[in-house]
Amino acid sequence: MRPRPPAMRTKRRYILVRIHPCGARVDQKQVYLAVIEAVTSLLGDAAAGLAQPAVVFCEEGYAIVRCRRGTEKDIAAALATVTTAADERIALRTVAVSGTIHALRRRMRPIRHLSMDEGVKIGETYFTAYRYPRQKVDLVEKGIKHQKSFFFTEADLEER
Amino acid sequence: MKITDAGMHPYPAGDSTVARMALEAGELGFDSVVVIGDAVCQPSSIEVLQGAAIGATSIKEVLKRVRDPAVRRADVVYVDAGDAAFNRAVVSIKEVNVVRSIHAARRNAFDHVAARTAAEQGVAVDISMAPIIHFRGTKRQRVLQQYADILSLQRRYGFLLTISSDACSILGQRSVRDIRGLCALFGMTGAEVTEALSTIGQIIEPHQPVRVVE
Repeated sequence: MRPRPPAMRTKRRYILVRIHPCGARVDQKQVYLAVIEAVTSLLGDAAAGLAQPAVVFCEEGYAIVRCRRGTEKDIAAALATVTTAADERIALRTVAVSGTIHALRRRMRPIRHLSMDEGVKIGETYFTAYRYPRQKVDLVEKGIKHQKSFFFTEADLEER
Repeated sequence: MKITDAGMHPYPAGDSTVARMALEAGELGFDSVVVIGDAVCQPSSIEVLQGAAIGATSIKEVLKRVRDPAVRRADVVYVDAGDAAFNRAVVSIKEVNVVRSIHAARRNAFDHVAARTAAEQGVAVDISMAPIIHFRGTKRQRVLQQYADILSLQRRYGFLLTISSDACSILGQRSVRDIRGLCALFGMTGAEVTEALSTIGQIIEPHQPVRVVE
């Protein structure tokens, strides 16, 4: 089958979102399901169908959401209402909107741990501390499922 | 003009500390934040203001609570909205700065009389982003209806509006751009959002006539 000529193809926009917290373990399908649920519940089936949202990339703490041109503002508003993906608490923060994935990839800055992850005890609970730039420390309860998370800074941790 | 998040609930009420939430708010485009609750305000990258929230069922109780030393020390005093009579009375109390949780009150609980009094007294009405983000279905529809109703009263009577994330975690905080998108859902324009985000600055430092000091 011959591809459509460029002038007849649907015009798309790509939204780059950052997935918070940095250590969230969610894959592309889980993010897609969360996005579809948020878009459908906020805008309705008709608008969601016209906007054609899809997650085309999800790695390194970033995701790229594709939609039809002209609907990117509505989709960005819906992305702000995403609170969970696969039973994990997340937030999607819009970084940039572009007409090409290539332009968005240039806006991605890798999120790196600053040091080796270490154990911290708060009260009677043990947490693993993940350190990030700007003195951010994410504490994740040690365990298998439904772990608590706390979001501190280096100064807060030193006070304890 | 300072862009302010008019309400956050950090650790121990939430899971993120004041310093961390202030850091995130700075990255999300805010110049200052108001912290509600017992959290201790520490010096951080952006200005952190102390807020006190009063949840009372009667005006008598509100009048008693506003004289509390902890409330007097606060930069911004919030009162949870109630029924129509309560709201009409609460907006005329001098010490009250903002009426919050308007989405939890009955429809028409904040009516044209309360709106006119709020405009005269300089009392603001808070629009919380948390119900728009966390609620689904009919609950969210009701919140959007209520906010649209408040907005129409604000356009008619000109009282102040504030916008708060009401976040208990950094995951509940949203950027200024996201807040514009969410407020557009109930018909608020970009200029109105910017004005509402800068209202706390006006409450802290009200516009007053220039005094000539000799």
